[in-house]
Amino acid sequence: MKVVKWTFLSLVTLVSLFPFYVMLMMSTYYSEDIFKGLPLIPSDYMLENMKTVFKTNFVQVYFNSMIVSISAAFIGVFTATLIGYAVAKYQFKLRSFLRYFIIITMMVPSQVGLIGYVIEMRTLGFGNTLLSVILIWSAWSFGAFFMVQFIKDTVPNEVIECARIDGASEPRIFFNIVIPLIKPGLATLATLVFLWSWNNYLLPLVTINNSDNYTIPLFVSTLGFVHRTDYGARMAALGLSTLPVLIIFLFGSRSFIKGITSGAVKG
Amino acid sequence: MSAQTIVNRKPRKGFGIRLWPYLFSLPFVLLYLAFQFYPVIYSFFLSLHEWNGVSDKRYVGFSNYVTLFTKDPLFYKSIYNTVVIMLMSLPVLILSGMVLAYLIFNMVKGRMLFQTANFLPYITTPVAIGFIFSFMFDWQTGIINALFVKMGFLTEGIYWLQDPWLSRIIIAIMIVWRNLGYFIAIYLAGMTAISQDVYEAAKVDGSTGFHTFTRITLPLLRNISVFLIVTSIIGSLQLFDEPKLLYGGWTASQVGGPDNAALTIIWKFVNDSFMNVRFGYGATIAYALFMLIVVFSIASYKLSMGKGDQE
Repeated sequence: MKVVKWTFLSLVTLVSLFPFYVMLMMSTYYSEDIFKGLPLIPSDYMLENMKTVFKTNFVQVYFNSMIVSISAAFIGVFTATLIGYAVAKYQFKLRSFLRYFIIITMMVPSQVGLIGYVIEMRTLGFGNTLLSVILIWSAWSFGAFFMVQFIKDTVPNEVIECARIDGASEPRIFFNIVIPLIKPGLATLATLVFLWSWNNYLLPLVTINNSDNYTIPLFVSTLGFVHRTDYGARMAALGLSTLPVLIIFLFGSRSFIKGITSGAVKG
Repeated sequence: MSAQTIVNRKPRKGFGIRLWPYLFSLPFVLLYLAFQFYPVIYSFFLSLHEWNGVSDKRYVGFSNYVTLFTKDPLFYKSIYNTVVIMLMSLPVLILSGMVLAYLIFNMVKGRMLFQTANFLPYITTPVAIGFIFSFMFDWQTGIINALFVKMGFLTEGIYWLQDPWLSRIIIAIMIVWRNLGYFIAIYLAGMTAISQDVYEAAKVDGSTGFHTFTRITLPLLRNISVFLIVTSIIGSLQLFDEPKLLYGGWTASQVGGPDNAALTIIWKFVNDSFMNVRFGYGATIAYALFMLIVVFSIASYKLSMGKGDQE
């Protein structure tokens, strides 16, 4: 019974990993050789493929994606944590209003305002710049929702009260006491924004059309190497572009999965 | 002395505390109004106009909506495609996610390994997934045909991506492949949240394996399943990356796939708004989708709540 279970689970896992494996193997082939047989064992053309990739403005694009994802994670998590803290730990008039505000805005699909957003960006002069892909994360309802819950659960009221009695100012309490306590939540949220903004395809597709400002998904989707369809090089580029999220994920997979699933289990 | 100072200090301090939550909430609210709320309202304003982004806007009232609902068969086809793909992928995800999670849950060793490995597709760029699949299923150069022919299942390759139904099935497979790890993770978290005492009690009463799963685990996972179904329906209605990249990628640049069988609502929205540059009409599609999502959400919420009342 145990053997059957292991075999079954291993098979499913193999299917899950198979496309990654194909991608990796293909990136080691000279493009024309891929179709001579099944590209299931590694070949020796990987370095050449990498060279082809780096001859394009891949480094620039990689850098763009990093800027976008890091700034999006920073601003998105920051505003979400601020409002999350306010709603979770203060008694004030607009508290329940803000709580509903966060929940309702979470349900509005992002595409509804997409055209308006694109035109707003053009009017403000941010069209075609990285800012247009970053600002969409500046008020992130899911993050705010998550933070309200997280701060409620992890920051004891007594700690805040004590600090207040000791004469600490409110911003100081927030930065020096609350922030250190909620580090795991911050990490989870930051990873999520990083992941989602890194993988986002639709928004850069409709806001950015200057190849110097491309992000990775856009670059990869328009990837043409002059004069020939170089599958090997394309697969190498794909592999390189999934690498950062893979690394981030493998380092923190435990807390990351926990973060992603926490909303479901509580709600 | 201290009593005096506290009384004196209290109003000032109280004012400070009363002010701070508003200051803390302000950045989020302002940024939301500027970059989320305003675009949504502006999109509605645009949906009442005819505009190509260059010439003057022309007010047309609700005629965009009338056109969309009465004269655009492609809109209904895109809804049909989206729903069909959802109906093919969601049940598979729920069922296999639950079963696999249960198998993994009862493991002593290897639990983290299986969970992590199966979660990898979920974090991979959809662009990569689209291209890997479009390569794997290519009729001439694809590895799937090559494998099947070599193993003797087929004598010659199948035109996977050129058949309307096959293309929908492949998109469903992509969705299942990408999201299975997520479903497993959510169910695993749900199973972990169920108190061990419940299982202990069941064991004492002589319940084992399959019986425990159907009688104890399944009912306790009902809320999680509802959550997954509702969020997945909302997510599937916004399906775009997978079909678009399966067809708009390297092998061919084709809008909608064979006979528009892979044209989803969002793909039609993007195509009409940004390729045909009809901002007004595009905004109309976005609002129609929004209404559809609201209806679906309320319906599935009511449905799941109603069931809860009967029990």
